[in-house]
Amino acid sequence: MTAEHDRLEEAREQKVPWKKWGPYLSERQWGTVREDYSEGGNAWDYFSHDQARSRAYRWGEDGLAAISDDKQRLCFALALWNGKDPILKERLFGLTNAEGNHGEDVKEYYFYLDSTPTHSYMKYLYKYPQAAFPYADLVETNRGRGRHEFEYELLDTGVFDQDRYFDVFVEYAKASADDLLMQLTVHNRGPEPAELHVLPTLWFRNQWSWHSASDRPLLQQIAGTPARGVVKAVDAQLGERYLYCEGEAPLLFTENETNTQRIFGVPNRSPYVKDGINNHVVHHQDGVVNPDKKGTKVAAHYRVTVDPGACAVIRLRLCDKAPAALAQGNGAGGSPFGSQFDEVLQARRKEADEFYAAITPPSLGTDAANVFRQALAGMLWSKQFYHYDVDKWLEERGSDPFKATRKAAPRNDHWHHMYNGDIISMPDKWEYPWYAVWDLAFHVLPLTLVDPDFGKQQLKLMLRERYMHPNGQIPAYEWNFGDVNPPVHAWSTIFTYRLEKAQKGEGDRDWLKSCFQKLLLNFTWWVNRKDRNGRNLFEGGFLGLDNIGVFDRSAPLPTGGYLEQADGTAWMALFCQNMLEIASELAMTDPDYEDMALKFVEHFFWIGSAMGHLGGDTGMWDEEDGFYYDVLRLPDGRAQRLKVRSMVGLLPLCATTVFEGALLAKSPELAERLQWFLMARPELCAAVHDPRKVGVAGRRLASILDETKLRRVLAKMLDENEFLSPYGLRSLSRYHADHPYLFHAGGQEYRVSYLPAESDTGMFGGNSNWRGPIWMPVNGLIIRALLQYYTYYGNDFTVECPTGSGRQMNLYQVAEEITRRLAGIFLRDGEGRRPVYGDTSKFQNDPHWRDLILFYEYFHGDNGAGLGASHQTGWTGAVARAMHMFATTTAEQMLQLGKQAAMVETESAWGARLAARV
Amino acid sequence: MLAARKRAATLYVERATQQWVVLDPEGNFWSLPSTDNPWDERQPFTPAEETELEPVPAHYKAMLGLTF
Repeated sequence: MTAEHDRLEEAREQKVPWKKWGPYLSERQWGTVREDYSEGGNAWDYFSHDQARSRAYRWGEDGLAAISDDKQRLCFALALWNGKDPILKERLFGLTNAEGNHGEDVKEYYFYLDSTPTHSYMKYLYKYPQAAFPYADLVETNRGRGRHEFEYELLDTGVFDQDRYFDVFVEYAKASADDLLMQLTVHNRGPEPAELHVLPTLWFRNQWSWHSASDRPLLQQIAGTPARGVVKAVDAQLGERYLYCEGEAPLLFTENETNTQRIFGVPNRSPYVKDGINNHVVHHQDGVVNPDKKGTKVAAHYRVTVDPGACAVIRLRLCDKAPAALAQGNGAGGSPFGSQFDEVLQARRKEADEFYAAITPPSLGTDAANVFRQALAGMLWSKQFYHYDVDKWLEERGSDPFKATRKAAPRNDHWHHMYNGDIISMPDKWEYPWYAVWDLAFHVLPLTLVDPDFGKQQLKLMLRERYMHPNGQIPAYEWNFGDVNPPVHAWSTIFTYRLEKAQKGEGDRDWLKSCFQKLLLNFTWWVNRKDRNGRNLFEGGFLGLDNIGVFDRSAPLPTGGYLEQADGTAWMALFCQNMLEIASELAMTDPDYEDMALKFVEHFFWIGSAMGHLGGDTGMWDEEDGFYYDVLRLPDGRAQRLKVRSMVGLLPLCATTVFEGALLAKSPELAERLQWFLMARPELCAAVHDPRKVGVAGRRLASILDETKLRRVLAKMLDENEFLSPYGLRSLSRYHADHPYLFHAGGQEYRVSYLPAESDTGMFGGNSNWRGPIWMPVNGLIIRALLQYYTYYGNDFTVECPTGSGRQMNLYQVAEEITRRLAGIFLRDGEGRRPVYGDTSKFQNDPHWRDLILFYEYFHGDNGAGLGASHQTGWTGAVARAMHMFATTTAEQMLQLGKQAAMVETESAWGARLAARV
Repeated sequence: MLAARKRAATLYVERATQQWVVLDPEGNFWSLPSTDNPWDERQPFTPAEETELEPVPAHYKAMLGLTF
């Protein structure tokens, strides 16, 4: 146990609120659905980056390297000014969806370098140019580029040439749960001395303007203390806090209230408004900061001139101790920045090292350990206080659901039951600063490496009555809560349960039980809403795979009719298996769940056999190609397979789960009922893998694919000319580079070609692409599936990998090989290059850049370069879980322990790996 | 008895005259000055044909002192 593990335990037992303060601000609150009150729902244009410095937010705050309490009452962030920009750098800049040639994109360089799970230590890096930030150039040049061109990035502007920039490191260390030490270190990487204005900023989230009864909090400078710059913060709910600012920096006070003159053209009631500090510092305006030294927003104004290669350090402290009390604890001089400050900071750094040393398999090596740690740091920095009272929001825009004369809201009109106000793991706090439920299920995989409690809490949260729709639907994401995401929540739930059970010897059955009840509602919602004809074949629309299909799968088809989706149906088969796993686990101690277990066994067979379609109709399986496709059913009754060889056709492979047979052994009656069902319906067993066939160690396999189909799909999947790239599995077969899929309807040609990089269409915002690139979550699911098959088929089942190579591998080795390729995206290759950075020489060669890792949203299908959102540590962080798993298990353990092997970290596995490396 | 929800008012800004405008639940228009107690200092307002009223989100109601 490390000190950080002790803190996690104290937080779990609610002895010490170690997670009360954390990186809970967004990187972008502007341009979100929550802040959008436009008639048509144009969130990007309604509340712009340009407005953000002047307009108070309604639902949440944003900032650079920012922290807040867990209700986001009091916020702290960094603001900077290089003396040349037209505005303070208070928040990250990026292009809106319409401005970017591939949709929205942050145009900044910032890095989540470190974080412990209780945020007892955190480190962040922001790279700030010394020349004027090229705002207009970025907008105009990107706007002028087409969808077939690359994005124009900040490095392309030349603003970092000659290294004329500052590296600004921000570190937080908790002396106690309510005592945060902050150290800002500014490095001048340029060739000449340069001045930087550093404005650490403290402010209250504005709640008082929107609620007449709300008490107004106050920030006020207090005098007569050893440390001159002391701000007292008082809030009715939070109590008192003090910000100590080292040195002589003037304190600039204003109010976190809208500059109504600038935003609405109506004179301000008070001269002190949100952009007062900006206008004081940048425009030297008089009368815009409060000379009485009070308000709801304050910045300490430091000016540092840093020589080339040198650095300047600024220290601050935010805590619940008044100056007198703090002085007592700090000995002579009573300074909040005495030797204790350095000792605590050093101690937290060391404890963070110890924590990561304890969870990082030694066999990973230095470079992989760095990737592993930054992946987890990014996961932890991506936590955000997400606040959205949909009922209130609808009312405020005139769409009160209980008002007869209401206007329909442009989105989320039927979700007025929702009240969200929680810390949630975000996909990317700039590009996706809102939760996405299927992303979240993947986030939990790496998060449980560092904080299993947080993982469990996140899964449960989405099922709570304040989130889940009364009809059983789990909210998708704020752009359309009613959209349909792949149902992976149950899978993540049983994974998390097993993990805890393996680590503690006992699982949290109460948690599992309560999740199961809500997941049942969700399962029923799917069955009743997405199976049009009651034939166990499912639709679902885009199902997270955006532009993967010939048509927009969420829109009415140009041909009329409807799609039977191979992925939708496969997801439901997997959902069935996961529910069966949960019910089986619960039934081991509570026979009431036996019926549910049998129900899900049967339901799996109904779905699996429907996919197999033995009835001679046009089914999803194409015998000639040995692959699954979506089926288009036309209004006149005709049907045809849409032969796009894509991830859609690989997902049926993922609908597989191994069962150890414990429940059947315990309950002979259940075994008898199952036997009767299988005997009575032999056609069901014939359409899927025959569950009566016993595998290694007496295991049973639930799988849509029998061995023959599995081999045929794997042959395609492992073909480097199709799905297998040097960096993982592609979302679309490379086959379509030379053989685009064409479909003609209504006089129009629809085409799907292999596009290894960005999308060439605006479908789904144009900022993502499933027609070639590598996506971590679906690769992760395939790795899981391969390990399931391996524990059933064992070492005797081998395939050629890559196809045509003559090299035979068992399925454990195949899974490991795919993981090796995925991890290779981030690791230095033989030439010292990281594929994720492609041809960007700064990131490849510069010592101040080359070990900073960005976890992009998806990756080039041929060369592994990062694409899409640049900080989607979210599900891309799942690579940390895969790296960890293969570093802590062996094939032998997998066969011996089954699924449990993926959960158990063993010294022998580490030893075996180390020996193998030697 | 049904629990009451707040009656709806609609907020606008008229940029030409730099003032807030409120349409109250009874259908009356009011112009509000930019003071500490805008609603208390409201004046009747009659939109002319050329008046351009730009909607303002209703969460600004409390800031303007509206109680409904």
